[in-house]
Amino acid sequence: MMRRGGIQLVSDLSLVALLLAGCAGQRETYAVLPDAKGQAGSLTVTPKEGAPVKLNGAYASAVGKPGSAPEAAKLSEEEIKAAFAEALSARPDAPLRFTLYFKEGSDELTPDSAKELERVLAEIRKRPAPDLIIVGHTDRVGLLADNDRLALKRAEKMRGEMVRQGLPADSVQAAGRGEREPLVPTADEVAEARNRRVEMLVR
Amino acid sequence: MRWATKALILPQPLRNTIRLANVLRRRQLIAIKYKEAGLKTNSAMLVPFLGGVLALSVVADASAQASPWVGQIKVSRGIVALERGGQKFPAPVGVRLKENDVILTEANGSVGLMFNDNSVLSMGPNGEVLLERYAYDSTTYLGAFDAFVKRGAVSIEAGNLANASPESVRVKTPLAEIRGQARNFAVNVEGK
Repeated sequence: MMRRGGIQLVSDLSLVALLLAGCAGQRETYAVLPDAKGQAGSLTVTPKEGAPVKLNGAYASAVGKPGSAPEAAKLSEEEIKAAFAEALSARPDAPLRFTLYFKEGSDELTPDSAKELERVLAEIRKRPAPDLIIVGHTDRVGLLADNDRLALKRAEKMRGEMVRQGLPADSVQAAGRGEREPLVPTADEVAEARNRRVEMLVR
Repeated sequence: MRWATKALILPQPLRNTIRLANVLRRRQLIAIKYKEAGLKTNSAMLVPFLGGVLALSVVADASAQASPWVGQIKVSRGIVALERGGQKFPAPVGVRLKENDVILTEANGSVGLMFNDNSVLSMGPNGEVLLERYAYDSTTYLGAFDAFVKRGAVSIEAGNLANASPESVRVKTPLAEIRGQARNFAVNVEGK
Protein backbone atom coordinates (compact mmCIF):
# COMPACT_ATOMS: atom_id res chain seq x y z
CA MET A 1 0.00 0.00 0.00
CA MET A 2 2.75 2.40 1.02
CA ARG A 3 4.64 1.63 -2.10
CA ARG A 4 1.65 2.27 -4.39
CA GLY A 5 1.02 5.60 -2.66
CA GLY A 6 4.63 6.60 -3.25
CA ILE A 7 4.48 5.89 -6.95
CA GLN A 8 1.24 7.85 -7.20
CA LEU A 9 2.87 10.86 -5.54
CA VAL A 10 5.88 10.73 -7.85
CA SER A 11 3.70 10.59 -10.97
CA ASP A 12 1.56 13.49 -9.67
CA LEU A 13 4.68 15.57 -9.12
CA SER A 14 6.03 14.83 -12.57
CA LEU A 15 2.67 15.82 -14.06
CA VAL A 16 2.80 19.16 -12.22
CA ALA A 17 6.38 19.68 -13.43
CA LEU A 18 5.32 18.95 -17.01
CA LEU A 19 2.44 21.43 -16.78
CA LEU A 20 4.72 24.12 -15.37
CA ALA A 21 7.24 23.54 -18.14
CA GLY A 22 4.45 23.78 -20.69
CA CYS A 23 3.22 27.06 -19.27
CA ALA A 24 6.69 28.55 -19.00
CA GLY A 25 7.25 28.07 -22.73
CA GLN A 26 3.89 29.42 -23.85
CA ARG A 27 4.19 32.91 -25.20
CA GLU A 28 2.34 35.11 -27.68
CA THR A 29 3.53 38.20 -29.51
CA TYR A 30 1.23 40.79 -31.09
CA ALA A 31 2.39 43.59 -33.39
CA VAL A 32 0.89 46.35 -35.54
CA LEU A 33 2.38 46.50 -39.05
CA PRO A 34 2.35 49.45 -41.47
CA ASP A 35 0.59 49.10 -44.84
CA ALA A 36 2.28 49.66 -48.23
CA LYS A 37 1.95 53.45 -47.73
CA GLY A 38 3.42 53.33 -44.22
CA GLN A 39 0.04 53.90 -42.53
CA ALA A 40 -0.77 51.95 -39.38
CA GLY A 41 -3.75 51.84 -37.03
CA SER A 42 -4.37 50.65 -33.51
CA LEU A 43 -4.96 47.17 -32.19
CA THR A 44 -6.65 45.94 -29.02
CA VAL A 45 -5.44 42.72 -27.44
CA THR A 46 -8.05 41.33 -25.06
CA PRO A 47 -6.61 38.50 -22.96
CA LYS A 48 -8.68 35.75 -21.36
CA GLU A 49 -7.15 36.86 -18.07
CA GLY A 50 -6.35 40.46 -17.17
CA ALA A 51 -6.94 43.85 -18.75
CA PRO A 52 -6.88 44.59 -22.50
CA VAL A 53 -3.85 46.32 -24.01
CA LYS A 54 -4.02 48.84 -26.84
CA LEU A 55 -1.21 49.05 -29.39
CA ASN A 56 -0.89 52.29 -31.34
CA GLY A 57 1.06 52.80 -34.55
CA ALA A 58 3.52 50.87 -36.69
CA TYR A 59 5.55 48.19 -34.89
CA ALA A 60 3.85 48.74 -31.53
CA SER A 61 3.94 45.32 -29.87
CA ALA A 62 2.98 43.35 -26.78
CA VAL A 63 3.81 39.96 -25.30
CA GLY A 64 1.29 37.71 -23.59
CA LYS A 65 1.91 34.82 -21.20
CA PRO A 66 -0.48 32.43 -19.44
CA GLY A 67 -2.10 33.72 -16.29
CA SER A 68 -1.29 37.41 -16.73
CA ALA A 69 -2.30 40.39 -18.86
CA PRO A 70 -0.23 41.09 -21.99
CA GLU A 71 2.49 43.66 -21.53
CA ALA A 72 3.74 46.25 -23.99
CA ALA A 73 7.02 45.06 -25.51
CA LYS A 74 9.91 47.15 -26.76
CA LEU A 75 10.58 45.10 -29.89
CA SER A 76 12.39 46.93 -32.66
CA GLU A 77 11.16 47.03 -36.25
CA GLU A 78 13.99 44.62 -37.16
CA GLU A 79 13.08 42.16 -34.42
CA ILE A 80 9.43 42.12 -35.52
CA LYS A 81 10.35 41.72 -39.19
CA ALA A 82 12.67 38.85 -38.26
CA ALA A 83 10.05 37.10 -36.11
CA PHE A 84 7.53 37.24 -38.97
CA ALA A 85 9.94 36.99 -41.92
CA GLU A 86 8.58 33.69 -43.28
CA ALA A 87 4.93 34.65 -42.79
CA LEU A 88 5.48 38.01 -44.51
CA SER A 89 7.35 36.49 -47.44
CA ALA A 90 4.41 34.11 -48.01
CA ARG A 91 1.95 36.99 -48.52
CA PRO A 92 0.19 36.70 -51.89
CA ASP A 93 0.64 39.51 -54.43
CA ALA A 94 -1.84 42.34 -53.90
CA PRO A 95 -4.84 42.32 -56.28
CA LEU A 96 -4.44 44.51 -59.38
CA ARG A 97 -7.35 46.51 -60.83
CA PHE A 98 -7.95 47.21 -64.54
CA THR A 99 -10.69 49.38 -66.05
CA LEU A 100 -11.87 48.69 -69.59
CA TYR A 101 -14.27 50.96 -71.52
CA PHE A 102 -17.17 50.19 -73.89
CA LYS A 103 -18.87 51.76 -76.88
CA GLU A 104 -22.13 53.59 -76.07
CA GLY A 105 -25.06 51.26 -75.28
CA SER A 106 -22.97 48.25 -76.29
CA ASP A 107 -21.01 45.34 -74.85
CA GLU A 108 -18.20 45.95 -77.33
CA LEU A 109 -14.90 47.33 -76.02
CA THR A 110 -13.44 50.58 -77.34
CA PRO A 111 -10.38 49.96 -79.56
CA ASP A 112 -8.01 51.22 -76.82
CA SER A 113 -9.54 48.93 -74.22
CA ALA A 114 -9.42 45.96 -76.57
CA LYS A 115 -5.62 46.44 -76.54
CA GLU A 116 -5.59 46.92 -72.76
CA LEU A 117 -7.12 43.45 -72.47
CA GLU A 118 -3.67 42.05 -73.36
CA ARG A 119 -2.24 43.61 -70.21
CA VAL A 120 -4.97 41.99 -68.13
CA LEU A 121 -4.14 38.60 -69.62
CA ALA A 122 -0.41 39.15 -69.02
CA GLU A 123 -1.09 39.86 -65.35
CA ILE A 124 -3.27 36.75 -65.08
CA ARG A 125 -0.51 34.60 -66.58
CA LYS A 126 2.00 35.96 -64.04
CA ARG A 127 0.04 34.56 -61.12
CA PRO A 128 0.23 30.90 -60.00
CA ALA A 129 -3.46 30.61 -59.02
CA PRO A 130 -5.28 33.58 -60.53
CA ASP A 131 -8.90 34.48 -59.99
CA LEU A 132 -10.84 37.36 -61.42
CA ILE A 133 -13.71 39.54 -60.23
CA ILE A 134 -15.47 41.51 -63.00
CA VAL A 135 -18.01 44.25 -62.25
CA GLY A 136 -19.87 45.95 -65.10
CA HIS A 137 -21.09 49.58 -65.08
CA THR A 138 -23.01 51.95 -67.39
CA ASP A 139 -23.54 55.67 -67.83
CA ARG A 140 -26.90 57.18 -66.83
CA VAL A 141 -28.56 57.18 -70.24
CA GLY A 142 -31.72 55.04 -70.20
CA LEU A 143 -33.75 53.22 -67.59
CA LEU A 144 -32.17 51.86 -64.39
CA ALA A 145 -33.35 48.32 -65.17
CA ASP A 146 -31.97 48.46 -68.73
CA ASN A 147 -28.66 49.65 -67.37
CA ASP A 148 -28.58 46.82 -64.85
CA ARG A 149 -28.96 44.41 -67.76
CA LEU A 150 -26.34 46.18 -69.88
CA ALA A 151 -23.83 46.30 -66.99
CA LEU A 152 -24.23 42.58 -66.39
CA LYS A 153 -24.02 41.88 -70.13
CA ARG A 154 -20.69 43.75 -70.28
CA ALA A 155 -19.32 41.80 -67.32
CA GLU A 156 -20.56 38.50 -68.78
CA LYS A 157 -19.01 39.27 -72.13
CA MET A 158 -15.61 39.81 -70.50
CA ARG A 159 -16.08 36.69 -68.40
CA GLY A 160 -16.72 34.66 -71.54
CA GLU A 161 -13.62 36.15 -73.13
CA MET A 162 -11.45 35.24 -70.12
CA VAL A 163 -12.77 31.67 -70.04
CA ARG A 164 -12.06 31.39 -73.79
CA GLN A 165 -8.51 32.50 -73.00
CA GLY A 166 -8.16 29.53 -70.67
CA LEU A 167 -9.10 30.78 -67.21
CA PRO A 168 -11.25 28.14 -65.40
CA ALA A 169 -14.91 29.20 -65.35
CA ASP A 170 -15.10 28.89 -61.56
CA SER A 171 -12.20 31.34 -61.21
CA VAL A 172 -14.12 34.21 -62.80
CA GLN A 173 -17.03 36.02 -61.14
CA ALA A 174 -19.14 38.55 -63.00
CA ALA A 175 -21.63 41.07 -61.58
CA GLY A 176 -23.40 44.20 -62.79
CA ARG A 177 -23.86 47.44 -60.85
CA GLY A 178 -25.80 49.32 -63.55
CA GLU A 179 -25.56 53.09 -63.28
CA ARG A 180 -25.27 53.02 -59.49
CA GLU A 181 -21.51 53.52 -59.22
CA PRO A 182 -20.42 56.04 -61.83
CA LEU A 183 -16.69 56.77 -62.04
CA VAL A 184 -17.65 60.34 -62.91
CA PRO A 185 -20.86 61.49 -61.18
CA THR A 186 -23.34 63.04 -63.66
CA ALA A 187 -26.99 64.07 -63.86
CA ASP A 188 -29.43 61.44 -65.16
CA GLU A 189 -29.48 60.86 -68.94
CA VAL A 190 -25.93 62.21 -69.42
CA ALA A 191 -23.79 60.15 -71.82
CA GLU A 192 -20.41 59.81 -70.10
CA ALA A 193 -17.86 57.56 -71.79
CA ARG A 194 -15.79 57.04 -68.62
CA ASN A 195 -18.77 55.45 -66.87
CA ARG A 196 -19.30 52.81 -69.57
CA ARG A 197 -16.83 50.33 -68.17
CA VAL A 198 -15.99 47.07 -66.44
CA GLU A 199 -13.61 46.92 -63.51
CA MET A 200 -11.53 43.77 -63.43
CA LEU A 201 -9.75 42.75 -60.28
CA VAL A 202 -6.98 40.25 -60.92
CA ARG A 203 -6.19 38.41 -57.69
CA MET B 1 -23.03 33.64 -61.79
CA ARG B 2 -26.26 32.77 -60.01
CA TRP B 3 -25.81 35.53 -57.50
CA ALA B 4 -25.32 38.16 -60.16
CA THR B 5 -28.63 37.27 -61.79
CA LYS B 6 -30.52 37.11 -58.50
CA ALA B 7 -29.17 40.45 -57.42
CA LEU B 8 -31.36 41.98 -60.10
CA ILE B 9 -34.48 40.25 -58.83
CA LEU B 10 -34.16 40.98 -55.14
CA PRO B 11 -34.27 44.73 -54.40
CA GLN B 12 -30.93 45.98 -53.12
CA PRO B 13 -32.14 47.69 -49.90
CA LEU B 14 -33.92 44.50 -48.85
CA ARG B 15 -30.80 42.40 -49.44
CA ASN B 16 -28.68 44.79 -47.40
CA THR B 17 -31.12 44.82 -44.52
CA ILE B 18 -31.39 41.05 -44.41
CA ARG B 19 -27.65 40.65 -44.58
CA LEU B 20 -26.95 43.20 -41.87
CA ALA B 21 -29.56 41.69 -39.58
CA ASN B 22 -27.95 38.31 -40.13
CA VAL B 23 -24.44 39.47 -39.33
CA LEU B 24 -25.49 41.40 -36.24
CA ARG B 25 -27.57 38.48 -35.00
CA ARG B 26 -24.72 36.03 -35.44
CA ARG B 27 -22.31 38.32 -33.58
CA GLN B 28 -24.77 38.67 -30.74
CA LEU B 29 -25.41 34.93 -30.52
CA ILE B 30 -21.76 34.12 -30.43
CA ALA B 31 -21.20 36.62 -27.63
CA ILE B 32 -24.03 35.05 -25.64
CA LYS B 33 -22.72 31.54 -26.22
CA TYR B 34 -19.28 32.56 -25.05
CA LYS B 35 -20.65 33.95 -21.83
CA GLU B 36 -22.87 30.97 -21.14
CA ALA B 37 -20.45 28.17 -21.77
CA GLY B 38 -17.01 29.54 -22.52
CA LEU B 39 -17.12 27.14 -25.45
CA LYS B 40 -15.53 27.28 -28.83
CA THR B 41 -18.35 28.21 -31.18
CA ASN B 42 -19.35 26.40 -34.33
CA SER B 43 -22.02 26.98 -36.94
CA ALA B 44 -24.21 24.12 -35.71
CA MET B 45 -24.91 26.09 -32.54
CA LEU B 46 -26.37 28.91 -34.57
CA VAL B 47 -28.92 26.88 -36.51
CA PRO B 48 -31.80 26.82 -33.98
CA PHE B 49 -31.41 30.53 -33.28
CA LEU B 50 -31.54 31.51 -36.92
CA GLY B 51 -34.99 29.96 -37.37
CA GLY B 52 -36.72 33.32 -37.37
CA VAL B 53 -34.75 34.73 -40.26
CA LEU B 54 -33.98 31.44 -41.99
CA ALA B 55 -36.52 31.79 -44.81
CA LEU B 56 -35.15 35.19 -45.75
CA SER B 57 -31.52 34.41 -45.12
CA VAL B 58 -31.56 31.46 -47.52
CA VAL B 59 -32.46 33.85 -50.31
CA ALA B 60 -29.95 36.44 -49.18
CA ASP B 61 -27.14 33.90 -48.85
CA ALA B 62 -27.84 32.37 -52.24
CA SER B 63 -27.80 35.78 -53.87
CA ALA B 64 -24.69 37.01 -52.09
CA GLN B 65 -22.44 33.97 -52.42
CA ALA B 66 -21.61 32.20 -55.63
CA SER B 67 -20.21 29.19 -53.79
CA PRO B 68 -19.19 27.89 -50.38
CA TRP B 69 -15.61 28.99 -51.09
CA VAL B 70 -14.34 31.76 -48.88
CA GLY B 71 -10.80 32.00 -50.18
CA GLN B 72 -7.94 30.34 -51.98
CA ILE B 73 -4.35 29.29 -51.32
CA LYS B 74 -2.24 31.67 -53.39
CA VAL B 75 1.19 30.78 -51.99
CA SER B 76 2.24 27.34 -50.69
CA ARG B 77 5.86 26.42 -49.91
CA GLY B 78 7.22 23.25 -48.31
CA ILE B 79 4.69 20.95 -46.68
CA VAL B 80 1.28 22.53 -46.17
CA ALA B 81 -1.87 20.59 -45.21
CA LEU B 82 -5.57 21.29 -45.09
CA GLU B 83 -7.83 19.62 -42.54
CA ARG B 84 -11.51 19.47 -43.49
CA GLY B 85 -14.23 17.35 -41.87
CA GLY B 86 -11.63 15.39 -39.89
CA GLN B 87 -9.58 14.48 -42.97
CA LYS B 88 -6.17 15.83 -43.90
CA PHE B 89 -5.22 16.78 -47.47
CA PRO B 90 -2.13 18.28 -49.08
CA ALA B 91 -2.67 22.00 -49.75
CA PRO B 92 -0.80 23.23 -52.83
CA VAL B 93 -1.34 26.56 -54.61
CA GLY B 94 -4.88 26.93 -55.99
CA VAL B 95 -6.75 24.94 -53.33
CA ARG B 96 -9.98 26.66 -52.31
CA LEU B 97 -11.00 27.21 -48.73
CA LYS B 98 -14.19 26.84 -46.71
CA GLU B 99 -15.33 28.01 -43.33
CA ASN B 100 -13.99 25.69 -40.58
CA ASP B 101 -10.97 24.57 -42.61
CA VAL B 102 -7.71 24.18 -40.70
CA ILE B 103 -4.43 25.05 -42.43
CA LEU B 104 -1.21 23.49 -41.10
CA THR B 105 2.42 24.10 -42.02
CA GLU B 106 5.34 21.76 -41.32
CA ALA B 107 8.81 22.91 -40.20
CA ASN B 108 9.67 23.76 -43.83
CA GLY B 109 6.26 25.15 -44.74
CA SER B 110 4.69 28.56 -45.27
CA VAL B 111 1.39 29.55 -46.83
CA GLY B 112 -0.47 32.62 -48.14
CA LEU B 113 -4.28 32.75 -48.28
CA MET B 114 -6.48 35.30 -50.02
CA PHE B 115 -10.15 35.64 -49.10
CA ASN B 116 -13.16 36.82 -51.12
CA ASP B 117 -12.96 40.35 -49.70
CA ASN B 118 -9.19 40.58 -50.55
CA SER B 119 -8.19 39.99 -46.95
CA VAL B 120 -4.89 38.14 -46.74
CA LEU B 121 -3.57 35.75 -44.10
CA SER B 122 -0.06 34.34 -44.35
CA MET B 123 1.69 31.93 -41.99
CA GLY B 124 5.23 30.71 -41.38
CA PRO B 125 6.47 27.21 -40.36
CA ASN B 126 4.94 24.96 -37.67
CA GLY B 127 1.68 26.85 -37.81
CA GLU B 128 -1.95 25.92 -37.39
CA VAL B 129 -4.89 28.21 -38.07
CA LEU B 130 -8.64 27.53 -38.03
CA LEU B 131 -10.88 29.60 -40.34
CA GLU B 132 -13.51 29.75 -37.65
CA ARG B 133 -15.94 32.05 -39.42
CA TYR B 134 -16.13 33.87 -42.72
CA ALA B 135 -19.11 35.83 -44.03
CA TYR B 136 -18.87 38.50 -46.72
CA ASP B 137 -21.38 40.41 -48.82
CA SER B 138 -19.55 41.64 -51.91
CA THR B 139 -22.13 44.40 -52.43
CA THR B 140 -22.18 45.97 -48.96
CA TYR B 141 -18.79 44.70 -47.74
CA LEU B 142 -20.55 43.61 -44.54
CA GLY B 143 -19.56 40.42 -42.79
CA ALA B 144 -17.06 38.95 -40.37
CA PHE B 145 -13.81 37.01 -40.42
CA ASP B 146 -12.54 35.16 -37.34
CA ALA B 147 -9.33 33.15 -37.50
CA PHE B 148 -8.07 31.07 -34.57
CA VAL B 149 -4.27 30.85 -34.52
CA LYS B 150 -3.38 27.79 -32.48
CA ARG B 151 0.36 28.03 -33.13
CA GLY B 152 2.79 29.73 -35.46
CA ALA B 153 3.56 33.20 -36.81
CA VAL B 154 0.71 34.75 -38.77
CA SER B 155 0.38 38.08 -40.56
CA ILE B 156 -2.98 39.60 -41.51
CA GLU B 157 -3.97 42.26 -43.97
CA ALA B 158 -7.67 43.10 -43.75
CA GLY B 159 -9.55 43.68 -47.01
CA ASN B 160 -13.00 45.06 -47.90
CA LEU B 161 -14.55 43.73 -44.69
CA ALA B 162 -12.53 46.34 -42.80
CA ASN B 163 -13.91 49.08 -45.09
CA ALA B 164 -17.43 48.38 -43.83
CA SER B 165 -16.40 47.85 -40.23
CA PRO B 166 -12.75 48.05 -39.08
CA GLU B 167 -13.19 45.48 -36.34
CA SER B 168 -14.88 42.79 -38.45
CA VAL B 169 -11.56 40.98 -38.93
CA ARG B 170 -10.48 39.27 -35.71
CA VAL B 171 -7.77 36.88 -34.66
CA LYS B 172 -8.15 34.62 -31.67
CA THR B 173 -5.31 32.78 -29.93
CA PRO B 174 -5.16 30.39 -26.97
CA LEU B 175 -4.59 33.40 -24.69
CA ALA B 176 -6.32 36.39 -26.30
CA GLU B 177 -8.48 38.02 -28.93
CA ILE B 178 -6.97 40.65 -31.26
CA ARG B 179 -8.84 43.24 -33.29
CA GLY B 180 -8.75 46.92 -34.08
CA GLN B 181 -8.50 49.66 -36.67
CA ALA B 182 -5.11 48.41 -37.83
CA ARG B 183 -5.53 46.68 -41.20
CA ASN B 184 -2.09 45.11 -40.95
CA PHE B 185 -0.94 43.16 -37.96
CA ALA B 186 0.89 40.03 -36.88
CA VAL B 187 0.43 37.42 -34.16
CA ASN B 188 2.92 34.77 -33.04
CA VAL B 189 1.87 31.84 -30.83
CA GLU B 190 4.85 29.92 -29.43
CA GLY B 191 5.58 26.97 -27.16
CA LYS B 192 2.25 25.25 -26.96
